[in-house]
Parts: sequence; structure tokens; C-alpha cells
Amino acid sequence: MRIAVCSPQVPFSHGGAEVLAEQLVDELNSREHETALVTVPFKWYPGERVLTQAFLWRLLDLEETDGRPIDLVIATKFPSYVVRHPRKVVWLVHQFRQAYDLDRTELGQFGESPEDRALRRAVHRLDRETLGEATRLCAISRNVADRLRGALGLEAEVVLPPPQELDFRCDGYEGFFLSVGRLDRAKRIDLLLDALAAEPELHCVVAGDGPDRPRLEELARRHGLDGRVRFAGRIDREELADLYARCLAVFYAPVDEDYGMVPYEAFLSEKPVVTTTDAGGPLDVVADRTTGLVCAPRGQEIADACRFLLDHPDDVRAWGQAGKAVAEQVTWDHAIDRLLA
Amino acid sequence: MKVAYFSPLPPERTGISEYSELLLPELRERLDVQIVARGQTAPRDADVCLYHVGNNPDAHGWIVEALRKRPGVVVLHDFVLHHLVAGLTLGQRDGEGYLGAMQREAGVPGRLLAHGVLDGVVPPLWEVRPEDFPLAGEVLEHAAKPGGGLIVHSRYVAERALASGYDGRLWRIPHPAWPAPRDLVAQSHKLRPGEPLVGCFGNLNASKRIPQLLEAFARLRSTYPAARLLLVGAEAPGFDLAGRVAGLGLEGVEREDYVDEERLWSLMAACDVCVSLRSPTMGETSGSAIRALVLGRPLVVSDVGAFQELPDEVALKIPVDEHEAETLARALELLAENEAAREAMSTAAGEYVAREHDLGRVAEAYVAALEEAAGGDAVRDTVVGEIANAAAAVGIDDPSELAARLNEVRLGG
Repeated sequence: MRIAVCSPQVPFSHGGAEVLAEQLVDELNSREHETALVTVPFKWYPGERVLTQAFLWRLLDLEETDGRPIDLVIATKFPSYVVRHPRKVVWLVHQFRQAYDLDRTELGQFGESPEDRALRRAVHRLDRETLGEATRLCAISRNVADRLRGALGLEAEVVLPPPQELDFRCDGYEGFFLSVGRLDRAKRIDLLLDALAAEPELHCVVAGDGPDRPRLEELARRHGLDGRVRFAGRIDREELADLYARCLAVFYAPVDEDYGMVPYEAFLSEKPVVTTTDAGGPLDVVADRTTGLVCAPRGQEIADACRFLLDHPDDVRAWGQAGKAVAEQVTWDHAIDRLLA
Repeated sequence: MKVAYFSPLPPERTGISEYSELLLPELRERLDVQIVARGQTAPRDADVCLYHVGNNPDAHGWIVEALRKRPGVVVLHDFVLHHLVAGLTLGQRDGEGYLGAMQREAGVPGRLLAHGVLDGVVPPLWEVRPEDFPLAGEVLEHAAKPGGGLIVHSRYVAERALASGYDGRLWRIPHPAWPAPRDLVAQSHKLRPGEPLVGCFGNLNASKRIPQLLEAFARLRSTYPAARLLLVGAEAPGFDLAGRVAGLGLEGVEREDYVDEERLWSLMAACDVCVSLRSPTMGETSGSAIRALVLGRPLVVSDVGAFQELPDEVALKIPVDEHEAETLARALELLAENEAAREAMSTAAGEYVAREHDLGRVAEAYVAALEEAAGGDAVRDTVVGEIANAAAAVGIDDPSELAARLNEVRLGG
């Protein structure tokens, strides 16, 4: 089949959703489909720009290209699923969360004016129409599917995406915790720094970059964490695999995350995960005292969890291996079977 | 967001005042709602107005007059508004207004017919054939204006509004369900063998098919001599219920006039079957039918209008035809003799009410509608304006495809 994988692109930004779309293209091509990635730049502010930029997708003609038909499109995150095609599969990474669960939070975008309220509703209408017309609707996690049902009453099949390909291995359990991901407030790296402040024997490496980095570095200074936290910035795949391979455990506690590849990557490296009760998607696989520890989203609780892992190497090893068994069940063969079903 | 709320309210005794009494606390948890007193207009700082419109001119005439001054969201509780319009026109010695309304509805023939009414040679149309001349046109026209919109409870009314040319915003928001009194729901309900109690709640008149119900009940009594029929509600002037009952030689008919909320629930809970018939329909959604479903009572309705949208699992639907009384009697007999059917309908009713009529979800739908109405025009204008400007800047002078795409995703208006 000729397949177009649709994914928006925020210029100069590259995160999990982009990685997922690129991997999907590679995996489809490796299975003898002819697949291309279609991207359109996306800017979601100010005001109505979220709608006009989303509408660009509607103007694309992806029914054929260069005189040959495109058999199928697979759209991923908002607003790529606004695209029209007689056979449109949506593998929903996330909707425009500022219009849903993040509304009226510090991560929200819409104010209380009638225009802002109506703008938010227009996003709902757009989603209802364009997701509703999909010939097949899948979601990358139970959390995303539940949000979709709660907000719009649409049912999606959960199709878990496998993590990126890395040289996953376990080289041992050194005494540091690893945080991986873009540094923005929703990822709550500050909780890990608070934990380090509460427990002097903890060390961590923070891999990734993003707009929250200056605030986090300042917080680390205020906490006096010199020498116990290393901001590694954006790192290459080898270094990331190496950190996974050597760390004691992985900290991952975003706010109500859509899915979260990080726990799967940790598990494939046989490392348990410390997360929080409000983390969303990670809770699909991080089971307390089975594949990691789940605690309240407070620095002291996270410090206690990390301290426990430092003191219980047998549990660390056992939970990491249990996680690996979970992660190995999530394969591209299965994901593609379901998307093309 | 501030909402100016126009509705009859208790102590006025109307179904719509009960509706608002149920809805208002939920809305107030989500919005700044200011109730507008009878005869007053909307406060200047209101972002949007919400007008509850029904067919009763005493209850809703002042609301339509306010709607004329400022457009807003109309909750159309009845599609047929002939009685309301007659009250707003003829009731205020405005014969020309009535002629105009009829002409708008049915052209010159309508105007001629209205002249006949004014001259007393044609009986009042609002009494004899209101369903043929709903006269909803003016209200729909106001609802379609910027800042406005239309809320209906049923697909039936939505389709009628669209068929009559309404082209504004439209939301279908189901009638909310009352929370069932806990002690009543907890009661296990077992029919006393051979003594089915059939209940009918609401105003008693010909359009509620009371004559057909009495005839069907007479047939039921021939099989179940101890069956009883409970009629609760005010009797329409001139209906002569007592005479009709006597004429059929019927026993077992029990009467209660208008009852308060607590008594209503209690009486309804005591019934084995609730009957809610209607023809002709004014497009209304029956509050008493919703209550019966809340209590899990097997329900029998007319196979017309909004009633047709009830799932078959929760209501037996009786066609309005020459066999109506006979079919109704058979339905009552079926429910009287078949406990499994009653229990299945009861279970289905509970699930249906939770799924379709949940009060919180209804309130959320109201918030969505009001937010769209209050700011939606500005959003649409900005989006369409930006896209139109971009198209014009690159020389696209036929925007028809753009318009089609905008409409596909509901950004065009």
C-alpha cells in the first residue's frame, strides 16, 4: 500500500510524537509498504491561530500524488487528523490538551472571555468532526482513549507504540537516578530535584533540554545540589542507551501524560521506574512494587521511594526484569497489524 | 461568563418551571447565572441570554417579548407555538400580528384562514389544528441571529426546525432526569397478583388520549377486574372526565388533581405501569415520562414525535390509528401478566436514563452551547477573515472550495 503518515511539526522542536511518526514510517517501509511522512508546521497561538493552522491540513489533497493514489493516511496528533481522506486511520497521540484536561490549569491557553471560551469549543467541534470521520480510530494509550471518550464520546482502540530502537541493555545498577525527556513544566523534573534536596544520598542525571531548563538549574542551585545533579542536555542515542544501561532506576512523573515512552525504554534496560499517582499513561505499565514504585507527587514521597530502591537492590533487579517482560510484548508487528486492520 | 436566564419558575406550575428548577443549580455551579424576573430585560453586562420558550402565552409571552429586544439562545420546549403566538397577538388585540404570523407560516391561504378566525367563521386554530400551523417562525428567526442559537430536546424537533428553514446554531440537549427519591427507588416493586395499577400523569385532555386510555382500561378490566387506573393532573375545561368514565360504566378509576412533587413521585412509584400518550404532538418532551423512567416503571407512549426516539427496551409505543385503544389494551395486558418484561424494561430504563438524561451531562451541554453562542461569532469571523485574506493575497478569487472545507469541519459558521 501507499501510505501517508501525517504528523505536525513545531519548527525546531523534536519530541516523542515526531519520533513515533518517523518510526512508523520506517516500520511500514520495512514491511514493503510505500510510506512517506507528511508534515505541516504548527503554531497554536495567539487566539484563533490554533484553528487557522489546523485548517491547513484540511486543504491538503492526499488522495493521490504524482498521478498515483495514496491508499491510506495515518494521522497522529492534533491537528494532523484534520486531513481528509476516504481511508483515514487516526493513531491518536493526543488532542489539543489545552482545550480539554489542561483548560483552566496553569498549562491552559484559553481565558474566561466569551471569545476564548467559544474558541475552545470550536476546537471540540473540529475534533468531533474530524476524528468522527476516521475510518479507524486508535489511541496510543488507555489514558488517551479514556480522555477521548470522556470529552467527545468517541471510542478508540488502544494500540501501544513500541519505544525507539536503542542499544537497550543492562550494564549494572550504579547509584544514580535517570530522568529522560523534554524539560518543560509538565514533565515535573522539579519533583526529582525536591527529592534530592530531601534525601542527601540521592544523585541524578537529567537528560534532555527545553524551556524549563533555566528554572530547573536555578532550583538545583537553591537546593544546593551541586555535584548530585547533572544536566546532560540533549544527548545522542549511544549516550542515552549508556545512561539507561547504568542507572539504578528511572524517574518519570509528568502530569497526566498521554503515554510516555520512557518507562518502556527503562524496562528494556531492566530498570524499574519511579512515578506518581497522577502521571496518567505511565500507570498503564508501572505497577507499584511490581515494575517500579508509584507514590504521591511530592518531593518527600519521591525521596522515600528512591531511598527504598537504593536500599533494596534485589527489588530493583526483580522489578526491572518484570518491566522488561511487559515492554517486550509491545511490538511493531502488533501495532501495524491493528492500524491496518 | 454571565448568563441572563429567562424562564417561568416556581411557584408557577408548568413543566418548564419544574425543568428550570432542576437545571438551575447545576448551571450555577458552572456559570454566573442571573435570573431575569418576569417583565424585566437582560442586564447590560450579560454575555448571553437564555430564553425558555413553550406554548403557554401566560408563562412565556414576556419571554418572547424580551427575545425580540435581544437575541439569544432559545430553548424550544414545544415546536408548536400557535397558542403562544395567538396570546401574543390576538390576546393583545393585535389582529394584524396574527394575520402576519399565519401568512409567514402558510402564505396567503394562511392569512385568509386567519381572517376567518378573526371573523369567527373558522374555529380557533390553536384549539382545533395547531399542529398544522406551528407558528414557530418568529422565534426561530430570533434564535438564528448572531449571539443566538436553538436548544431542542429531541431529534424530532431538531428536524422540524431545520425543515422549516432554521439555519442557525442548533444543539440537541436531552431533557435532564430528576434524581429519584432514594426511598422510592429502594422499594422492591411487586405487582399484587391480578391488581395492576396503571398511572397517567399530567393535564387531562383529549390530546393526552384520555378517551382512548379509558377505553383500553375498560378492556383491561375485563381481564383484570381489580385493575385500577390512576389519573393525576388538572382536567381541561369542558373535558368532562366524570361523564366519560360514567359513560363507559368504568370502575377502578382514581383521581388526584395537581399534586406536589413529593406526592407525585410517591404516586408514580406505586404504579405498575405508566402511560404517557400524546396526539397531536406539539413537539414536547414529556417530563412525566422521564420521571417514570427514573423510577424504572414500564412505560407506554404514543408512537409519535419525540416519543419515537425512546428505545424499544424502555417503552411500548402505541400507533395513533383506529386500533389505538385495542393496541393499548393489549400492551397493558402484556405488562400486567409478564413480570419478566416489566423487570427487563425497568432495568433498561435505569440504564437509559443514566446514559441519556444525566443531569450533570445536560448542564455541561448547556455550558458548551452558551459558550459557543456568546463568543462563536467572533471566533468564526476571525478564522474566516484570516483565511479569506490569505486566499485573496495569493489571488484566489473563487473561495468556494475554501468555504466547503471550512463547513466540513464546522469552522464556517
